[in-house]
Amino acid sequence: MDEKKAAILGEIPRLRRYARSLLRDRDSADDLVQDCLERALVRLDNWQTGESPRRWLFTIMHHLFIDQTRKVNRRGEVAMLPLEAGEAQAIPAEQVENIASREIIDALQAISPDRRAALVMVAIEGFSYAEAANILGVPAGTLMSRIARGREELRGLLDDTARRRAIRIVER
Amino acid sequence: MTPRDFSERDIHMALDGELPGDERVAYDAWLDANPEMKARSARYVADRAALRAAFAGVLDEPVPARLQKIVFGEAPVKTAASRSRWWQAAAAAAMLAIGGVGGYVAGIDRLGLEDPAEDHLAEQAIAAHVIYAAEKRHAVEVPASDKDHLQTWLSNRVGLKLVAPDLAAEGFQLVGGRLLPAGESKAAMLLYEDDKGERISLFVTAESAEKAKGTYGSEENGPEAVYWLDKGYGCAVVGSLPRAQLTAVAKSAYSQLLAGLAG
Repeated sequence: MDEKKAAILGEIPRLRRYARSLLRDRDSADDLVQDCLERALVRLDNWQTGESPRRWLFTIMHHLFIDQTRKVNRRGEVAMLPLEAGEAQAIPAEQVENIASREIIDALQAISPDRRAALVMVAIEGFSYAEAANILGVPAGTLMSRIARGREELRGLLDDTARRRAIRIVER
Repeated sequence: MTPRDFSERDIHMALDGELPGDERVAYDAWLDANPEMKARSARYVADRAALRAAFAGVLDEPVPARLQKIVFGEAPVKTAASRSRWWQAAAAAAMLAIGGVGGYVAGIDRLGLEDPAEDHLAEQAIAAHVIYAAEKRHAVEVPASDKDHLQTWLSNRVGLKLVAPDLAAEGFQLVGGRLLPAGESKAAMLLYEDDKGERISLFVTAESAEKAKGTYGSEENGPEAVYWLDKGYGCAVVGSLPRAQLTAVAKSAYSQLLAGLAG
Protein backbone atom coordinates (compact mmCIF):
# COMPACT_ATOMS: atom_id res chain seq x y z
CA MET A 1 0.00 0.00 0.00
CA ASP A 2 1.38 3.38 -0.84
CA GLU A 3 2.33 5.98 1.71
CA LYS A 4 -0.53 8.30 0.95
CA LYS A 5 -3.11 5.66 1.66
CA ALA A 6 -1.36 4.66 4.86
CA ALA A 7 -1.41 8.28 5.97
CA ILE A 8 -5.12 8.57 5.19
CA LEU A 9 -5.86 5.40 7.09
CA GLY A 10 -4.05 6.81 10.10
CA GLU A 11 -6.29 9.88 10.13
CA ILE A 12 -9.59 8.03 10.20
CA PRO A 13 -9.94 8.00 14.01
CA ARG A 14 -9.50 11.77 14.12
CA LEU A 15 -11.88 12.31 11.24
CA ARG A 16 -14.44 10.17 12.99
CA ARG A 17 -14.11 12.16 16.17
CA TYR A 18 -14.53 15.45 14.33
CA ALA A 19 -17.53 14.10 12.44
CA ARG A 20 -19.09 12.81 15.64
CA SER A 21 -18.82 16.22 17.26
CA LEU A 22 -20.44 17.82 14.22
CA LEU A 23 -23.27 15.34 13.83
CA ARG A 24 -23.53 13.33 17.02
CA ASP A 25 -25.28 10.33 15.50
CA ARG A 26 -22.68 7.66 14.97
CA ASP A 27 -23.87 6.32 11.63
CA SER A 28 -24.40 9.77 10.18
CA ALA A 29 -20.93 10.78 11.34
CA ASP A 30 -19.39 7.71 9.71
CA ASP A 31 -21.32 8.46 6.52
CA LEU A 32 -19.73 11.89 6.48
CA VAL A 33 -16.29 10.33 6.97
CA GLN A 34 -17.08 7.90 4.17
CA ASP A 35 -17.99 10.74 1.80
CA CYS A 36 -14.80 12.50 2.80
CA LEU A 37 -12.63 9.45 2.14
CA GLU A 38 -14.26 8.82 -1.21
CA ARG A 39 -13.65 12.37 -2.29
CA ALA A 40 -10.09 12.28 -0.98
CA LEU A 41 -9.25 9.14 -2.96
CA VAL A 42 -10.61 10.64 -6.14
CA ARG A 43 -8.47 13.69 -5.59
CA LEU A 44 -5.36 11.95 -4.37
CA ASP A 45 -3.33 13.78 -7.00
CA ASN A 46 -4.36 17.16 -5.57
CA TRP A 47 -2.69 16.32 -2.34
CA GLN A 48 0.56 18.27 -2.32
CA THR A 49 3.56 16.40 -1.07
CA GLY A 50 4.51 17.83 2.26
CA GLU A 51 0.97 18.98 3.07
CA SER A 52 -0.27 17.52 6.32
CA PRO A 53 -2.72 14.71 5.58
CA ARG A 54 -4.73 15.79 8.57
CA ARG A 55 -5.22 19.31 7.33
CA TRP A 56 -6.00 18.14 3.83
CA LEU A 57 -8.60 15.61 4.98
CA PHE A 58 -10.19 17.92 7.52
CA THR A 59 -10.56 20.56 4.83
CA ILE A 60 -12.33 18.12 2.53
CA MET A 61 -14.63 16.94 5.28
CA HIS A 62 -15.41 20.40 6.47
CA HIS A 63 -16.41 21.49 2.98
CA LEU A 64 -18.72 18.52 2.68
CA PHE A 65 -20.29 19.33 6.01
CA ILE A 66 -20.74 23.04 5.48
CA ASP A 67 -22.00 22.76 1.88
CA GLN A 68 -24.69 20.39 2.95
CA THR A 69 -25.60 22.39 6.02
CA ARG A 70 -26.09 25.43 3.82
CA LYS A 71 -28.21 23.47 1.38
CA VAL A 72 -30.37 22.27 4.22
CA ASN A 73 -30.75 25.80 5.52
CA ARG A 74 -31.64 27.14 2.09
CA ARG A 75 -34.31 24.55 1.72
CA GLY A 76 -35.71 25.81 4.96
CA GLU A 77 -36.43 24.40 8.29
CA VAL A 78 -36.87 20.67 8.17
CA ALA A 79 -39.04 19.30 10.88
CA MET A 80 -41.00 16.15 11.45
CA LEU A 81 -44.51 15.99 12.71
CA PRO A 82 -44.69 15.80 16.48
CA LEU A 83 -43.80 12.24 17.34
CA GLU A 84 -46.46 9.98 18.64
CA ALA A 85 -46.01 9.10 22.29
CA GLY A 86 -44.77 5.64 21.43
CA GLU A 87 -42.27 6.96 18.94
CA ALA A 88 -40.67 9.40 21.32
CA GLN A 89 -37.63 7.91 22.87
CA ALA A 90 -34.37 9.00 24.31
CA ILE A 91 -31.20 8.64 22.36
CA PRO A 92 -30.09 5.04 22.15
CA ALA A 93 -27.26 4.34 24.52
CA GLU A 94 -24.92 3.48 21.69
CA GLN A 95 -22.13 5.13 23.50
CA VAL A 96 -21.74 5.17 27.20
CA GLU A 97 -22.33 8.75 28.15
CA ASN A 98 -22.51 10.12 31.60
CA ILE A 99 -24.89 12.97 32.23
CA ALA A 100 -22.24 15.64 31.91
CA SER A 101 -21.07 14.28 28.58
CA ARG A 102 -24.58 13.98 27.29
CA GLU A 103 -25.41 17.51 28.31
CA ILE A 104 -22.38 18.99 26.66
CA ILE A 105 -22.90 16.95 23.50
CA ASP A 106 -26.50 18.10 23.32
CA ALA A 107 -25.46 21.70 23.87
CA LEU A 108 -22.79 21.42 21.19
CA GLN A 109 -25.39 20.18 18.71
CA ALA A 110 -27.58 23.16 19.50
CA ILE A 111 -25.10 25.86 18.54
CA SER A 112 -24.75 26.96 14.92
CA PRO A 113 -22.74 24.64 12.66
CA ASP A 114 -20.16 27.33 11.88
CA ARG A 115 -19.49 28.01 15.54
CA ARG A 116 -19.54 24.33 16.38
CA ALA A 117 -16.95 23.52 13.75
CA ALA A 118 -14.66 26.37 14.80
CA LEU A 119 -14.86 25.52 18.47
CA VAL A 120 -14.34 21.80 17.98
CA MET A 121 -11.46 22.32 15.60
CA VAL A 122 -9.54 24.28 18.22
CA ALA A 123 -10.81 22.97 21.56
CA ILE A 124 -10.98 19.25 20.76
CA GLU A 125 -8.87 18.70 17.68
CA GLY A 126 -6.12 21.00 18.89
CA PHE A 127 -5.55 22.97 15.70
CA SER A 128 -4.01 26.41 16.03
CA TYR A 129 -6.08 29.44 15.03
CA ALA A 130 -4.07 29.74 11.83
CA GLU A 131 -4.58 26.08 10.91
CA ALA A 132 -8.27 26.10 11.80
CA ALA A 133 -8.88 29.32 9.86
CA ASN A 134 -7.16 27.76 6.89
CA ILE A 135 -9.17 24.54 7.07
CA LEU A 136 -12.46 26.35 7.53
CA GLY A 137 -11.55 28.88 4.87
CA VAL A 138 -12.31 31.95 6.95
CA PRO A 139 -10.18 34.90 8.11
CA ALA A 140 -8.56 34.52 11.53
CA GLY A 141 -10.80 37.26 12.97
CA THR A 142 -13.92 35.40 11.90
CA LEU A 143 -12.59 32.20 13.38
CA MET A 144 -11.87 33.91 16.68
CA SER A 145 -15.29 35.44 16.93
CA ARG A 146 -16.91 32.08 16.10
CA ILE A 147 -14.90 30.40 18.83
CA ALA A 148 -15.73 33.09 21.37
CA ARG A 149 -19.45 33.13 20.49
CA GLY A 150 -19.53 29.36 20.36
CA ARG A 151 -18.06 29.05 23.83
CA GLU A 152 -20.43 31.64 25.25
CA GLU A 153 -23.41 30.00 23.63
CA LEU A 154 -22.37 26.57 24.82
CA ARG A 155 -21.96 27.81 28.38
CA GLY A 156 -25.32 29.59 28.22
CA LEU A 157 -27.03 26.40 27.12
CA LEU A 158 -25.38 24.40 29.87
CA ASP A 159 -26.46 27.01 32.42
CA ASP A 160 -30.03 26.71 31.11
CA THR A 161 -29.91 22.94 31.41
CA ALA A 162 -28.61 23.18 34.94
CA ARG A 163 -31.36 25.64 35.80
CA ARG A 164 -34.05 23.39 34.37
CA ARG A 165 -32.68 20.45 36.29
CA ALA A 166 -32.76 22.52 39.49
CA ILE A 167 -36.38 23.45 38.84
CA ARG A 168 -37.32 19.83 38.27
CA ILE A 169 -35.69 18.82 41.51
CA VAL A 170 -37.59 21.53 43.37
CA GLU A 171 -40.85 20.42 41.76
CA ARG A 172 -40.37 16.92 42.98
CA MET B 1 7.05 46.87 27.75
CA THR B 2 3.90 48.56 28.97
CA PRO B 3 1.33 46.01 30.07
CA ARG B 4 -1.59 46.15 27.69
CA ASP B 5 -5.24 45.97 28.65
CA PHE B 6 -6.68 42.50 28.47
CA SER B 7 -10.23 41.61 27.57
CA GLU B 8 -12.50 38.61 27.29
CA ARG B 9 -10.96 37.91 23.92
CA ASP B 10 -7.72 37.12 25.68
CA ILE B 11 -9.44 34.47 27.77
CA HIS B 12 -10.14 32.55 24.59
CA MET B 13 -6.67 33.12 23.22
CA ALA B 14 -5.04 32.00 26.46
CA LEU B 15 -7.23 28.93 26.55
CA ASP B 16 -6.36 28.05 22.98
CA GLY B 17 -2.64 28.60 23.42
CA GLU B 18 -2.65 31.67 21.22
CA LEU B 19 -1.53 34.21 23.79
CA PRO B 20 2.08 35.26 23.19
CA GLY B 21 4.33 33.74 25.85
CA ASP B 22 5.66 37.09 27.03
CA GLU B 23 2.14 38.29 27.85
CA ARG B 24 1.28 35.33 30.02
CA VAL B 25 2.45 36.79 33.32
CA ALA B 26 0.58 40.05 32.78
CA TYR B 27 -2.51 38.09 31.70
CA ASP B 28 -2.47 35.95 34.84
CA ALA B 29 -2.15 39.08 36.96
CA TRP B 30 -5.12 40.58 35.12
CA LEU B 31 -7.18 37.45 35.78
CA ASP B 32 -6.31 37.57 39.47
CA ALA B 33 -7.42 41.16 39.61
CA ASN B 34 -10.74 40.40 37.87
CA PRO B 35 -12.59 37.67 39.76
CA GLU B 36 -15.44 37.69 37.27
CA MET B 37 -13.12 37.10 34.35
CA LYS B 38 -11.26 34.49 36.33
CA ALA B 39 -14.48 32.62 37.02
CA ARG B 40 -15.41 32.82 33.35
CA SER B 41 -12.04 31.46 32.35
CA ALA B 42 -12.44 28.61 34.84
CA ARG B 43 -15.86 27.70 33.39
CA TYR B 44 -14.46 27.63 29.86
CA VAL B 45 -11.57 25.48 30.99
CA ALA B 46 -14.02 23.05 32.58
CA ASP B 47 -16.22 23.05 29.48
CA ARG B 48 -13.28 22.26 27.28
CA ALA B 49 -12.29 19.39 29.55
CA ALA B 50 -15.85 18.07 29.40
CA LEU B 51 -15.92 18.40 25.60
CA ARG B 52 -12.67 16.53 25.22
CA ALA B 53 -13.80 13.84 27.61
CA ALA B 54 -17.11 13.44 25.80
CA PHE B 55 -15.40 12.62 22.51
CA ALA B 56 -12.21 10.99 23.73
CA GLY B 57 -13.68 7.53 23.42
CA VAL B 58 -14.16 7.87 19.66
CA LEU B 59 -10.41 7.59 19.07
CA ASP B 60 -10.38 4.19 20.76
CA GLU B 61 -13.25 2.76 18.76
CA PRO B 62 -12.25 0.26 16.09
CA VAL B 63 -12.41 1.85 12.64
CA PRO B 64 -15.47 0.52 10.82
CA ALA B 65 -14.53 -1.88 8.06
CA ARG B 66 -16.55 0.07 5.49
CA LEU B 67 -14.26 3.06 5.97
CA GLN B 68 -11.07 1.03 5.68
CA LYS B 69 -12.36 -0.63 2.55
CA ILE B 70 -12.70 2.70 0.81
CA VAL B 71 -9.06 3.51 1.38
CA PHE B 72 -8.05 0.06 0.18
CA GLY B 73 -10.19 0.60 -2.90
CA GLU B 74 -12.59 -2.22 -2.11
CA ALA B 75 -15.63 -0.06 -1.55
CA PRO B 76 -18.83 -1.43 -2.98
CA VAL B 77 -20.65 0.71 -5.50
CA LYS B 78 -23.13 2.89 -3.71
CA THR B 79 -26.75 2.36 -4.47
CA ALA B 80 -29.24 5.18 -4.30
CA ALA B 81 -30.65 3.73 -1.11
CA SER B 82 -27.31 3.56 0.65
CA ARG B 83 -26.22 7.03 -0.40
CA SER B 84 -24.86 8.86 2.49
CA ARG B 85 -27.50 10.38 4.61
CA TRP B 86 -25.32 12.10 7.14
CA TRP B 87 -26.56 15.51 6.13
CA GLN B 88 -29.99 14.64 7.39
CA ALA B 89 -28.51 14.66 10.84
CA ALA B 90 -27.26 18.12 10.02
CA ALA B 91 -30.85 19.05 9.23
CA ALA B 92 -31.95 17.63 12.55
CA ALA B 93 -29.24 19.64 14.22
CA ALA B 94 -30.42 22.79 12.48
CA MET B 95 -33.85 22.09 13.82
CA LEU B 96 -32.50 21.41 17.28
CA ALA B 97 -30.72 24.72 17.21
CA ILE B 98 -34.16 26.27 16.93
CA GLY B 99 -35.74 24.00 19.50
CA GLY B 100 -32.92 24.30 21.99
CA VAL B 101 -31.22 21.61 23.99
CA GLY B 102 -34.46 20.24 25.30
CA GLY B 103 -35.10 18.81 21.85
CA TYR B 104 -32.90 15.82 22.48
CA VAL B 105 -35.55 13.98 24.45
CA ALA B 106 -37.43 13.48 21.21
CA GLY B 107 -34.52 11.45 19.87
CA ILE B 108 -32.13 13.31 17.65
CA ASP B 109 -31.52 10.57 15.19
CA ARG B 110 -35.19 9.97 14.61
CA LEU B 111 -35.77 13.55 13.61
CA GLY B 112 -35.17 15.12 10.26
CA LEU B 113 -34.89 11.87 8.38
CA GLU B 114 -36.38 13.51 5.34
CA ASP B 115 -35.58 12.15 1.99
CA PRO B 116 -35.01 14.48 -0.96
CA ALA B 117 -37.96 12.79 -2.71
CA GLU B 118 -40.42 13.89 -0.10
CA ASP B 119 -38.91 17.36 0.15
CA HIS B 120 -39.45 17.47 -3.57
CA LEU B 121 -43.11 16.58 -3.20
CA ALA B 122 -43.55 19.19 -0.48
CA GLU B 123 -41.78 21.82 -2.56
CA GLN B 124 -43.98 21.15 -5.57
CA ALA B 125 -47.07 21.28 -3.41
CA ILE B 126 -46.01 24.58 -1.84
CA ALA B 127 -45.11 26.09 -5.22
CA ALA B 128 -48.51 25.16 -6.61
CA HIS B 129 -50.24 26.54 -3.56
CA VAL B 130 -48.36 29.84 -3.73
CA ILE B 131 -49.34 30.32 -7.36
CA TYR B 132 -52.94 29.14 -7.45
CA ALA B 133 -54.28 29.86 -3.98
CA ALA B 134 -53.54 33.53 -4.64
CA GLU B 135 -55.65 33.51 -7.83
CA LYS B 136 -59.12 34.96 -7.39
CA ARG B 137 -60.86 33.95 -10.60
CA HIS B 138 -58.53 31.33 -12.00
CA ALA B 139 -57.60 29.35 -8.93
CA VAL B 140 -59.13 26.14 -10.25
CA GLU B 141 -59.84 24.52 -13.60
CA VAL B 142 -62.92 22.64 -12.47
CA PRO B 143 -65.11 24.23 -9.77
CA ALA B 144 -66.61 22.39 -6.81
CA SER B 145 -70.06 22.71 -8.42
CA ASP B 146 -68.84 20.09 -10.88
CA LYS B 147 -67.41 17.86 -8.18
CA ASP B 148 -68.26 14.49 -9.72
CA HIS B 149 -66.59 15.39 -12.98
CA LEU B 150 -63.62 16.85 -11.08
CA GLN B 151 -63.08 13.61 -9.18
CA THR B 152 -63.42 11.36 -12.21
CA TRP B 153 -61.21 13.52 -14.36
CA LEU B 154 -58.41 13.86 -11.81
CA SER B 155 -58.61 10.17 -10.89
CA ASN B 156 -58.14 9.20 -14.53
CA ARG B 157 -55.29 11.61 -15.12
CA VAL B 158 -53.35 10.96 -11.94
CA GLY B 159 -54.07 7.24 -11.88
CA LEU B 160 -55.50 7.02 -8.38
CA LYS B 161 -59.04 6.76 -7.17
CA LEU B 162 -59.47 10.27 -5.83
CA VAL B 163 -62.30 11.33 -3.58
CA ALA B 164 -62.20 14.99 -2.57
CA PRO B 165 -62.16 14.96 1.25
CA ASP B 166 -64.99 16.69 3.08
CA LEU B 167 -63.31 19.22 5.34
CA ALA B 168 -66.47 21.02 6.47
CA ALA B 169 -65.88 19.88 10.03
CA GLU B 170 -62.56 21.74 9.90
CA GLY B 171 -64.28 24.80 8.42
CA PHE B 172 -63.12 24.35 4.83
CA GLN B 173 -65.22 24.06 1.68
CA LEU B 174 -63.99 22.69 -1.63
CA VAL B 175 -63.34 25.43 -4.20
CA GLY B 176 -62.33 23.09 -6.99
CA GLY B 177 -59.29 21.45 -8.46
CA ARG B 178 -56.75 21.34 -11.23
CA LEU B 179 -54.25 19.06 -12.88
CA LEU B 180 -50.56 19.85 -12.50
CA PRO B 181 -47.26 18.45 -13.72
CA ALA B 182 -45.27 16.70 -10.99
CA GLY B 183 -41.85 15.71 -12.18
CA GLU B 184 -42.43 13.18 -14.94
CA SER B 185 -45.97 12.46 -13.86
CA LYS B 186 -49.09 14.34 -12.86
CA ALA B 187 -50.56 15.65 -9.69
CA ALA B 188 -54.04 16.66 -8.62
CA MET B 189 -54.50 19.84 -6.66
CA LEU B 190 -57.67 20.40 -4.68
CA LEU B 191 -58.27 23.85 -3.27
CA TYR B 192 -60.31 24.56 -0.14
CA GLU B 193 -61.38 27.82 1.48
CA ASP B 194 -62.81 28.76 4.86
CA ASP B 195 -65.41 31.49 5.47
CA LYS B 196 -62.65 34.05 6.05
CA GLY B 197 -61.16 33.32 2.65
CA GLU B 198 -58.17 31.41 4.06
CA ARG B 199 -57.13 28.79 1.54
CA ILE B 200 -55.43 25.44 1.84
CA SER B 201 -54.61 22.99 -0.89
CA LEU B 202 -54.29 19.28 -1.17
CA PHE B 203 -51.67 17.93 -3.55
CA VAL B 204 -51.79 14.28 -4.59
CA THR B 205 -49.53 12.26 -6.88
CA ALA B 206 -49.29 8.58 -7.70
CA GLU B 207 -45.51 8.71 -7.66
CA SER B 208 -43.82 7.44 -4.56
CA ALA B 209 -41.88 4.41 -3.53
CA GLU B 210 -41.30 5.02 0.11
CA LYS B 211 -43.07 5.63 3.36
CA ALA B 212 -42.57 8.93 5.08
CA LYS B 213 -44.39 11.73 6.76
CA GLY B 214 -43.43 15.15 7.93
CA THR B 215 -43.85 18.88 7.84
CA TYR B 216 -41.97 21.13 5.49
CA GLY B 217 -41.71 24.88 5.19
CA SER B 218 -39.60 26.45 2.47
CA GLU B 219 -39.25 29.84 4.02
CA GLU B 220 -40.03 31.70 7.18
CA ASN B 221 -43.65 32.79 7.41
CA GLY B 222 -44.38 31.03 4.13
CA PRO B 223 -46.96 28.27 3.79
CA GLU B 224 -46.10 24.87 5.22
CA ALA B 225 -46.78 21.44 3.85
CA VAL B 226 -47.79 18.46 5.93
CA TYR B 227 -47.08 15.42 3.81
CA TRP B 228 -47.44 11.68 3.72
CA LEU B 229 -45.87 9.28 1.32
CA ASP B 230 -46.54 5.63 0.95
CA LYS B 231 -46.01 3.05 -1.71
CA GLY B 232 -47.78 4.29 -4.81
CA TYR B 233 -48.95 7.72 -3.71
CA GLY B 234 -47.92 10.85 -1.97
CA CYS B 235 -49.98 13.70 -0.66
CA ALA B 236 -49.34 17.05 0.92
CA VAL B 237 -51.65 19.55 2.57
CA VAL B 238 -50.38 23.11 2.22
CA GLY B 239 -51.50 26.23 4.00
CA SER B 240 -50.47 29.11 6.20
CA LEU B 241 -52.51 27.95 9.17
CA PRO B 242 -51.06 27.56 12.65
CA ARG B 243 -49.12 24.29 12.72
CA ALA B 244 -51.56 22.45 14.98
CA GLN B 245 -54.57 23.43 12.89
CA LEU B 246 -52.84 22.55 9.64
CA THR B 247 -51.86 19.17 11.06
CA ALA B 248 -55.44 18.50 12.18
CA VAL B 249 -56.88 19.42 8.77
CA ALA B 250 -54.20 17.36 7.06
CA LYS B 251 -54.96 14.31 9.17
CA SER B 252 -58.64 14.52 8.35
CA ALA B 253 -57.91 14.97 4.64
CA TYR B 254 -55.43 12.13 4.64
CA SER B 255 -57.68 9.61 6.34
CA GLN B 256 -60.51 10.43 3.92
CA LEU B 257 -58.15 10.18 0.95
CA LEU B 258 -56.98 6.78 2.16
CA ALA B 259 -60.54 5.61 2.57
CA GLY B 260 -61.27 6.89 -0.95
CA LEU B 261 -58.25 5.14 -2.44
CA ALA B 262 -59.29 1.86 -0.87
CA GLY B 263 -62.95 2.28 -1.79
